[in-house]
Amino acid sequence: MALPPPAPPPPLPPTAPQGVGLDFAALYEAHARAIYYLALRLLGDSGRAEDAVHDVFLKAYRAQAGFRHAAEVRTWLYRIALNHCQNLLGSWQQRNIHPTATDELLERAGSGGESPLRACETRELGERIRQALDEIAPAYRILLLLVADEELGYDAIASLTSQTPDAVRGKLHRARKAFAAAFARTA
Amino acid sequence: MKPRLTHQTRQETEATHHHEARGELEFETVEALLRHDAAQTPLPPEIARRLEAELAATPPARAPWWRRLFQR
Repeated sequence: MALPPPAPPPPLPPTAPQGVGLDFAALYEAHARAIYYLALRLLGDSGRAEDAVHDVFLKAYRAQAGFRHAAEVRTWLYRIALNHCQNLLGSWQQRNIHPTATDELLERAGSGGESPLRACETRELGERIRQALDEIAPAYRILLLLVADEELGYDAIASLTSQTPDAVRGKLHRARKAFAAAFARTA
Repeated sequence: MKPRLTHQTRQETEATHHHEARGELEFETVEALLRHDAAQTPLPPEIARRLEAELAATPPARAPWWRRLFQR
């Protein structure tokens, strides 16, 4: 099965006003896709993930004056995104809101760029991943999504998840097993 | 046809194998599967458009008072 061509880069937001040290357009270009994927798989719905990424970058823009350059920008953005998504999930849980995969499927069906077959295949894999991630413990879900980003080291993941790198490695082993079992059940 | 996940407990990520002849994807690790999924997930351009509109109306963030103090 041939892989589809990579999606064209999205248009960039304007460069942030100078004076606080971050080139916002470059920051968006470098990290938005990773943040969107995290939000999509954590929230389980493309519309809500879009809103979340918008809000995350807006928060980042407003908070950039307080950004400590000792921390990696990507880790900083992940921290904002994780907090934002966890807050959303917490508030949905309180209100018993459950995003439906069907809504997302219909939404995506309208977006061009992929052949129907490819869309169907991509959709199926994404849906199975979503189901498997939904089945495992939230801590495992977050860990796997962070580890899947090759630009994040164990130290950054440990910092983001408030544990030691050794604890990350230990939990990761269990997270992989839990996910693999859950993914097999979606077949 | 469903991609098949072969789970391995290796710490490091292995390459993803694409079995084109069988029309099937096989991933050696969970991370490889998720990376493939992430690579197939385009960033909706609408987010950038919304941000562009919003940022155009947002005043620049000011550095905190202590940073402005030390920059003098």
